[in-house]
Amino acid sequence: MGVVKAKSRARSSSQNSGVLPLLPFFIFTGFFLIWPVLAVTLKSFRGNNNEWTLDNFRPITQGGPYFHSFIVSIKLALITASIGSIIGAFFAFVIVTYVRGRFKNVLDSISAVFANSGGVPLAFMFIAAFGTNGLAIKFIRFLGYDIYAGNFTIFSFTGVVLVYTFFQAPLMILVFQPAISGMRKEWREASANLGASALTYWRRVGIPILLPPFIGAFFLLFAGGFSAYATARALTSGTVSIVPIVIGALVDGNTQASQSNLGASLAVGMIVVALVIMIGYVWAQKRAEKWRQS
Amino acid sequence: MRISSLQKWSIIIFASLLGFTLFILPVIASSIYSFQKPGGKGYSFTSYTWLLHQEGFFASMGTSLKLAVLAGILNISLMVPTMVYLNLKGQKFKSLVDFICILPLVIPVVSLAIGAQNAMPSFLQNSQYELVFFFVIIGLPFTYRTIDTSLQAISLKTLVEASRSLGASWIRTIIRVIVPAIRGGITGALFLTFALSIGEYTITSLLHWETFPTWTVVASQQNILGAIALSVFSFVGAIALLSIIALFSKKSARQVEVNE
Repeated sequence: MGVVKAKSRARSSSQNSGVLPLLPFFIFTGFFLIWPVLAVTLKSFRGNNNEWTLDNFRPITQGGPYFHSFIVSIKLALITASIGSIIGAFFAFVIVTYVRGRFKNVLDSISAVFANSGGVPLAFMFIAAFGTNGLAIKFIRFLGYDIYAGNFTIFSFTGVVLVYTFFQAPLMILVFQPAISGMRKEWREASANLGASALTYWRRVGIPILLPPFIGAFFLLFAGGFSAYATARALTSGTVSIVPIVIGALVDGNTQASQSNLGASLAVGMIVVALVIMIGYVWAQKRAEKWRQS
Repeated sequence: MRISSLQKWSIIIFASLLGFTLFILPVIASSIYSFQKPGGKGYSFTSYTWLLHQEGFFASMGTSLKLAVLAGILNISLMVPTMVYLNLKGQKFKSLVDFICILPLVIPVVSLAIGAQNAMPSFLQNSQYELVFFFVIIGLPFTYRTIDTSLQAISLKTLVEASRSLGASWIRTIIRVIVPAIRGGITGALFLTFALSIGEYTITSLLHWETFPTWTVVASQQNILGAIALSVFSFVGAIALLSIIALFSKKSARQVEVNE
């Protein structure tokens, strides 16, 4: 053991961490990730005759349908991230506390499928379950409620909220589990020894520790809900005007330069919102780390 | 202080019921729905056989499978050496790589797609294989974490030093020593990329390619029951596949423990 240690120390002193072995990674991500993002940003500042301009952003900032699409998107992300994170946190707690072994593995991978299924199949499955003649609707009707009597339809904003929750909550289960399993039994025992009740433990220890990772996970869900495209597109055939759908419609036409420039500026607007969320996420992560170390 | 057994079981039962209603019931409901006869009462395989007679079905499925397999392989070949190097010697680059790998989660895929439309050279734009590269990008946040976790679970330094001092080259060390040691993580990363690629819709549709998901949307305009059948088939298939892998990977993880 001592030899290995001495040897590794000798190694680490000669560790000359060059960047060369990382070049493939940097070239790849540089070309296929950073460059497209730069390109769309540059394009968003270009006018019809390729001159530099801020005109493309005017439709977003001046109100009107493009501004409104951002409001709808943010609203959708807020609602689905809230519902998803609360339901998901509950399930994460139950899974960490009561489920062990293989069954936990199966639950985890089912959550992974659900969390990543925010795509086309999900939309059609929900049409089957919650469409006008869907089986879930028939079942609810059988119980005596006709939710279609109001103005509910699966092809609306409410419908999209319903479907998004279906993948937001499992995502929360996945990302929030480590935080819960990081809570030590000793904390609970220590607070019990000091005479704290279960309620006091949660109020004074549990919740303060879990809050930063919870907020972090919430931001992650928000980002997911904000930028999701496939499900809403397939479900509503583009009638719910969230930003990604508006962009898709603008670019699909692919006729005028002005439209495609406007599409680029909307895309940049989305990146800006996402970056703000990212800053919140990093802040929450840092807070969570601080707790874990002390 | 201990949670009583009654409390424990009522929480478990409540969670099971809630989980069943929210997640399992819609799957069952759409499964049953997919066997309904079009327009009439009764059940049949009509929607499923309709699929098999569609020209685009096998073509688009073939395209998706091909692209997803390529994306999985490319992702592993790029990320395993990168992560090994980062964990051994490149610590000072780790936070930068970490940052880049989380970007695809942050940057809306729509924005990336619009950027790709503008930034990719035309020889790439003219080939459906351009999608492979973007599928790899989308998979990065997940493969980064999966491979990193599995590398931290093994004594990487000792393994590498042992292998190197016995005269093995770097490539040989990675392929013969590290890859077998982290095969659980690699399988996980491979299947995650594969699953993401199979279902990817946003970039594919904005770059105007036809894969399985985009074909499904087009087909739904002809036959919604067919599209539902297709969705149920791919969703249940994914769950079954990943559950089997979860059971299997648990077994191999235990084998590694025993070997050590």
